[in-house]
Amino acid sequence: MSTILKVKNLRKEFGGVVAVDDNTFSVQQGERLGIIGPNGAGKTTTFNMIAGYYKPTAGTIEYEGKRISGLKPHRISRMGIGRTFQIVRAFGELSVFDHVLTGVLAHELHFRPTPEQIEKAEQILELTKLNPFRDTLVKNLTIASQRRIELATALATKPRLLLLDELMAGLTFVEIDETLEELRKINEEMGITLIVVEHVMKAIMQLCQRIIVLNYGRIIAEGTPQEVANNKTVIEAYLGEEEKYA
Amino acid sequence: MEKTTLARGTSKTSLIRNGVIIAVILAVFIVIPQVTSEYVTYVVVLALIYAVLAGSYDILTGYTGPLTFCHGAFYGIGAYTSALLTLRAGFSFWLALPVSGITVFLFAALIGYPALRLRGHYFAVTTFFFGHFIYLVILNSVKLTSGPMGLRGIKAPESILGLNFSTLQGSYYLIFVFSIIIVVLLYLLVKSGIGRVFVSIRENEELAEAIGINTSFYKVLAFSIGAGVAGLMGSLFAHFFRLLHPTTFAWMTSEMVVIMALVGGLGTLIGPIIGAGIVTLILELMRFAPELRFIIWTVALIAVLVIEPRGLMGLIRRVKGGEK
Ligand SMILES: Nc1ncnc2c1ncn2[C@@H]1O[C@H](COP(=O)(O)OP(=O)(O)OP(=O)(O)O)[C@@H](O)[C@H]1O
Ligand SMILES: [Mg+2]
Repeated sequence: MSTILKVKNLRKEFGGVVAVDDNTFSVQQGERLGIIGPNGAGKTTTFNMIAGYYKPTAGTIEYEGKRISGLKPHRISRMGIGRTFQIVRAFGELSVFDHVLTGVLAHELHFRPTPEQIEKAEQILELTKLNPFRDTLVKNLTIASQRRIELATALATKPRLLLLDELMAGLTFVEIDETLEELRKINEEMGITLIVVEHVMKAIMQLCQRIIVLNYGRIIAEGTPQEVANNKTVIEAYLGEEEKYA
Repeated sequence: MEKTTLARGTSKTSLIRNGVIIAVILAVFIVIPQVTSEYVTYVVVLALIYAVLAGSYDILTGYTGPLTFCHGAFYGIGAYTSALLTLRAGFSFWLALPVSGITVFLFAALIGYPALRLRGHYFAVTTFFFGHFIYLVILNSVKLTSGPMGLRGIKAPESILGLNFSTLQGSYYLIFVFSIIIVVLLYLLVKSGIGRVFVSIRENEELAEAIGINTSFYKVLAFSIGAGVAGLMGSLFAHFFRLLHPTTFAWMTSEMVVIMALVGGLGTLIGPIIGAGIVTLILELMRFAPELRFIIWTVALIAVLVIEPRGLMGLIRRVKGGEK
């Protein structure tokens, strides 16, 4: 297995606040990695640095052996890193089909979408089960559906690495199970490496092979779901509050 | 299966219907200079120029998002560039026309590249002052532009293929045909993949970046295309009226373009074009009361925006019973 992403001494400060504190970790090709941690731990900030939205204060990010820290988001997307946002972002005035097609076109712009590109958009609608909403305007759909559309549009850009920020927030248990199955498919059948930030603990424990725990911007633990769940520091820092009241 | 056949059926009848509508409109425009007075012909030329200005304005503000208030300045730069190239540098109109368009396109790219880094209101306000700045430059570069005295003696387009453009009718048809070509090109642009990219930036710039769209590049492109078209129309205007005055390109003109686009409905292309026609017509009809003209007009505009902020096209959609 080769390394797809290498993060070295990554740091981000906002004014005086250290949001991400000298973190080093790497991600293997084909892996499903989870990142967890309490609110404000620095998960989204880490994603924003990998995807090029924030410039790191210090440290480097390497993707497929090339340094990407400092590149613009669209360049990073073109290199094969897709993402979804914690706060849903969507092209509200587009139909679901056009939304996904825009993702297909974004990397390979033709004056008119080619038949292959239309076919590709159809396939993704099929895969993400968005077919019934095909012609609905995205703005008229629920937040949960818009999240799926964001995922579908990210898939349309043919990423090799996907960063998913709280994709399952606000979903019902049934929807979470469906999403988990879908993510496994994306990972195993399409060969896309996943980094997943999630507060839904059950979901991340089921999905991920390895979990990194952040607290106050620092990695405080790393290991299999089992190891992390039994880690004393994690229980103290992260689950501790619940224990107190238990 | 059934749904697609149905969709195809409707699109075929609507295709025929649209074809008929377009044919009728074209026929009306073709007979106008034959059957109406010179005055009406002049007004229609002005309406055509404004229609293309408003349509090109829609490329950035309607389709891509950022609001600008300087379209009149690009129109003016095109007009003066073309006039000066023919007057001072011996260019023929047929060379000065594309050169003015390209000059304004490049100039807008130069301005747009730094300015479009500003977000929202800051960019809009910058364009407002830029527009005013250009007006002041035209007004005060007396040696070059004759300033407030106006630039006179501009040549009519040279005749080609035996067609004479120095008559009112000749230049009418020139502007008419040219406007149609530009509108068709703009239509193809907004329906193309590039048009989809523009819309994605308008809808959500951060998501557009996340899927790999170079949003700064496409914003500058949309800005420059709109400006370039305004430059071309400026050139046509200069050689049609053959007299340029700085006030033609003052903030009122920029504002008028914004109003026309709003009245018609931003982001629809056809809306701003129709809006330009309506506004020009109303302003001409109200010439009987010059003092009241702008008061009535302003009140009417506010009423339109309160009733339907998406303009005429929004109103049509609502009447057709689509969405609220
Ligand atoms: N743009 C910003 N400007 C200033 N401070 C920021 C900014 N973005 C994040 N922060 C701060 O950085 C810290 C980490 O925030 P981040 O959003 O990365 O946390 P998170 O782990 O994603 O939390 P959550 O689970 O609530 O989403 C917080 O203290 C936050 O207030
Ligand atoms: Mg977050």
